[in-house]
Amino acid sequence: MLEVKGLYKSFGTKEVLKGVSFEAETGKITGLVGKNGAGKTTIFHSILNFVESTGQISFSGVPITKETYQKIGYLPEERSLMPKLTVFDQVRFLANLKGLSTAVVRKRLAWWLERLQVKGKAEDKIKSLSKGNQQKVQLICTLIHKPQLIILDEPFSGLDPVNTDLLKQIILEEKKHGAVIIFSDHDMTNVEELCDDLVMVNDGQIVLNGDIQSIRESFGLTRIFVRTPRSLEELQQLAHVKKVSQTKFGSYRLVLEDEKYGTAIFDEVTKGEYVQTFDQQPPTLNEIFKMKAGVK
Amino acid sequence: MVLSPFIFLLLSFGVGYLSSTMAGSKEDRVAVVTADSRLKKQLTVDKTNTTAKYPTVTAAKKALISKKIKGYLKVENMNGKLTAAYFGVEHLSETQHDRFLQILSAQQQIMNLKKAQLSQNQLLTLRTQPQLKQTVSDNNQNAQSAVKLVSFMALLFIMYFILLTYTTTVAQEIASEKGTKIMEMIFSSMPAKNYFYGKILGTFGVIATHLAIYLIGGMSLYFVSPHFEFTKSIFNENKETVDKVVANLSNLNLLYVLLGVIIFTVLAALCGSLVVRPEDTSKAIQPVMYLVMAGFFGALILGQSADNVIVKVASFIPFLSSFFMPIRLINGNTDTFQVVISLIILLASTVGLTVYVGSLYAGLILQTDDVGLIKSFRRGLKIK
Repeated sequence: MLEVKGLYKSFGTKEVLKGVSFEAETGKITGLVGKNGAGKTTIFHSILNFVESTGQISFSGVPITKETYQKIGYLPEERSLMPKLTVFDQVRFLANLKGLSTAVVRKRLAWWLERLQVKGKAEDKIKSLSKGNQQKVQLICTLIHKPQLIILDEPFSGLDPVNTDLLKQIILEEKKHGAVIIFSDHDMTNVEELCDDLVMVNDGQIVLNGDIQSIRESFGLTRIFVRTPRSLEELQQLAHVKKVSQTKFGSYRLVLEDEKYGTAIFDEVTKGEYVQTFDQQPPTLNEIFKMKAGVK
Repeated sequence: MVLSPFIFLLLSFGVGYLSSTMAGSKEDRVAVVTADSRLKKQLTVDKTNTTAKYPTVTAAKKALISKKIKGYLKVENMNGKLTAAYFGVEHLSETQHDRFLQILSAQQQIMNLKKAQLSQNQLLTLRTQPQLKQTVSDNNQNAQSAVKLVSFMALLFIMYFILLTYTTTVAQEIASEKGTKIMEMIFSSMPAKNYFYGKILGTFGVIATHLAIYLIGGMSLYFVSPHFEFTKSIFNENKETVDKVVANLSNLNLLYVLLGVIIFTVLAALCGSLVVRPEDTSKAIQPVMYLVMAGFFGALILGQSADNVIVKVASFIPFLSSFFMPIRLINGNTDTFQVVISLIILLASTVGLTVYVGSLYAGLILQTDDVGLIKSFRRGLKIK
């Protein structure tokens, strides 16, 4: 388990982290979300000891030190490898730093290249690879030493849907192996799909922390998706409905003042009519993100 | 780059060898015509400038007309008196003239002694030669000055060129690494300061290899030169100076060079870490270049004034001491105490600067905004 307690960091007079505390549990995926400049990267950099912060950070009860580095796998936000090296040399260089012998690297790399559908590329120069394949190599560098703590900073950015799915599968496999996984992403759909827990940072402070379902439900079942012959104007006239919008699939999305009005709305829209869909949901993570980040 | 001095030397040797070979072309030779075969052999020992190919005056004349020789020397024995006459299109060179005269004189003397029919004792008496003994003091002022000057210049230029080459290389390499995410991956595997120390150590290793190659090359030249015809005389004439220069370069001065190279490399690394784009390196490295030039030109100007107060003061200032203390060491213008103090200051500054830059390194390298050198440095301090 990764424990972050009372993390403070200032750059000059600018306070970037203001007492950040959270836990990321073993065998779970924790999503770290927040607007640009909210402090996510500084949290990652503090965990990785790139910057000196006040507070406590420990992994499996031990502060992060030189020895802990071998247990960490970090995938930075942008992709950057050494273009003149071959895939094997690049992976070996970083894996050797993690304490892996060259023989082990050779064996594991073959497995990873096959797993990521880039078999036979070990001797290719990095610069000759496509962007997608370079990202796969960087992922291999992150995971080849079987890290117990995996930090992924926007891992899906720039990936096509096929490779996004492949990466999601791999993240889930690492979760099954019992790793602590933290990742940040601006796409809340990915966070919702993969994460067990969510930590949301805004202006250097944690504004949401917990398991995703509980967080969503804490906002109440205030969203109704309904497919009805009624018009948009008619639905807007309903009591306790704050906002109505039409989805592109022909259904409507109603925002209620409170979840308790759901029953009344159901009674009203189904009165003497057949309704194909009526689904009462909490706000999506995307909506929660916008609410908490102060985005209107 | 490393091999360029050797390529230059090989070329010089090649040119020297060719020019010495070309110097004795057929048209420049003097034919020796004499009936005395022994004398002929002696006079044509130097195959480059003389030839015994033409046995008669007629043959020699023909060769002269067809420009195969520059002239011919006709030697005759006229009743025990050797007479030599030279005919040619060019004068004999002074060396050739002296050489012919020397051989002919020696031969004439043998003939004279034989003709005089002297007893053994008379012969020995006549052979008595005057003696001219030279005693050259070790403290010969001019020779000593030359040695000092050569030692100092060699040291100064070696250091200057190494600094020019490697400070720029290091700064450029760091600038090109800066802001790339591969650095974050590396720093997630090892502390940034360890990476920095490794980088400095690696650079130092490259410089040491560079110096070692020069050392091996220099030693090879030292041992090989006496065996080549065209370098033998130069080497033998200057062996004493070369030995003294080598001795001057192999003492504490070398330590100053090594420490100087490290401290300048660390400073160059700091400068390189302040820019985002490698093309801005030349701007960032300017302070290092100014310091190197201040040391180099200062030492060049004051190199012969070891007792100058500026030299004395600068020999204790880190960065400059590597240029100025060797002046005092070579000229014997300092004592052990001062050298130890100067070395301690230089060593402490080198270690201190390395540790300090190492502690800032992550903060400097992980910045990606192009905010200028000073602001970048300030940010590095804040991130730390």
